[in-house]
Amino acid sequence: MKKGMNGRAAVFLGAMTLAIAGPLFANPARDAIIAKYASEAGVSTFSAKRGKALFMANHTGGKPTTPSCITCHTSNLRGPGSTRVGKPIDAMAVSVTPSRFTDIAKVEKWFGRNCNSVLGRLCTATEKGDVLTYLSSL
Amino acid sequence: MSQPSEKTATTRIWDIFVRMFHWSLVAGIGVAAWTGFIIGPRALDIHVWIGSLAGALVFLRLIWGFTGGTFARFSSFLTGPRQTIHHLRELADKTAPRHLGHNPLGGWMVLALLGVIAGLAATGAYVLGGTFHAGPLAGWVSTSSGMGLRELHEVLAILLLVFIAFHLAGVIFESYRTRENLARAMVTGSKEMRSGDEPQTRLAARPLAFVLTGVFGLGLAVFSGLSMSHRTPPNAPVSVVGTTYEANCTDCHMAYHPSLLPASSWVQIMATLDDHFGEDAWLPPDTVTEISAWLGAHSGEATDSKPALVFSQLNSARPMEITETPFWKRTHAHLPEDMFTTPPVYARGNCAACHEDTKTGWFYPPNIHLPE
Repeated sequence: MKKGMNGRAAVFLGAMTLAIAGPLFANPARDAIIAKYASEAGVSTFSAKRGKALFMANHTGGKPTTPSCITCHTSNLRGPGSTRVGKPIDAMAVSVTPSRFTDIAKVEKWFGRNCNSVLGRLCTATEKGDVLTYLSSL
Repeated sequence: MSQPSEKTATTRIWDIFVRMFHWSLVAGIGVAAWTGFIIGPRALDIHVWIGSLAGALVFLRLIWGFTGGTFARFSSFLTGPRQTIHHLRELADKTAPRHLGHNPLGGWMVLALLGVIAGLAATGAYVLGGTFHAGPLAGWVSTSSGMGLRELHEVLAILLLVFIAFHLAGVIFESYRTRENLARAMVTGSKEMRSGDEPQTRLAARPLAFVLTGVFGLGLAVFSGLSMSHRTPPNAPVSVVGTTYEANCTDCHMAYHPSLLPASSWVQIMATLDDHFGEDAWLPPDTVTEISAWLGAHSGEATDSKPALVFSQLNSARPMEITETPFWKRTHAHLPEDMFTTPPVYARGNCAACHEDTKTGWFYPPNIHLPE
């Protein structure tokens, strides 16, 4: 009797975990940030594929020490990155660092800094949306 | 061929305290010289402890000089200039007698050695207090005056080595001259009795007076030392923990303590965040204002510490870089170049890779731990 109860409890807990973990990837604050970029760009969806291409590519317009996003974040986005002075950077993949991209001020600060360092210009709303969509899918 | 088996009569000269004192001091001065001259700042803690012990030993020896038996007493071996010159004349004429205790020159040697060691302990505490704001004088001596006395401490250390050389030369000379192994006498405590030994009325030691004075004196010294050490140094480096500076600037790098650069350098750094050592480190204007004010209030000029003092001398061509200052270059020159370019250090500017106390701003040498 008791065993049966435990089995049912396990199923219930499993369902609860899925119910919580599902929205974890679709955090409302992050959704709002992506929606804001979508309205700025005048589009309805972003492309994770384009985001990945931008993130992984080598660029020439920025500062010579940082030609790419992966100079610091590394190509393994589920693992930690490292700043140029060796300070670890939390993994960019939302599945590993669930708090990523939930604070608009922070997201804007780092896009502002890093787009300038890597590209030598500000990123467009489309580029920001693409990158966020890509990193949220990881 | 037969050896005379007659046992020579001996007499006790050096009591157990004098012998223990002598050989403990030999070991202590050995460790202090090794850590001070050879190992350097990384062994500062050992150097300070052994120096304190040497100071305590000398203090006890001074008390024993008034409470010990005949040969331990200053009154038995500290002679005036006339007797010392007389002894020198006798040595020149080869008529000098054997002395059971210290001869007049040896007596002065003892005083000189004790005096220099006491001076080393005193200047050591002063240098430690001022330079590193540690020990009993941590809050009582300014950095510049503590660092200023370091040279005197070093001169005394060299003087001690010279005196030790004289002492050894004297022991060897006197051992040959009197056909008696003086070093062994300092181990066994006994010397051979000879006809013509000066008649002695031996004074008895007063161990109770010694113990009471010693315990009271050392207790007082430890108590006052500990009480004094609690004083907070004036203009000590500010704490970085919990500041807006820490919250923003440690996203990318360690928190460089504000006292490591003068205010003018911080102004320049905060004005050029768009190209911050090759990266854009943009911050909202109100954050820039807040951090700038905090850095200015706690910069090198506002802080009394060794790092603040030594890094105030900038490389004028690169005033924003601590690692370009003459002091940084001099003190890091012995480290291999590739240590600064590979994990776990990565860069010259990653002080925290080796210095454990970067957030305090003190950079105390024993807190340096080089990566394996």
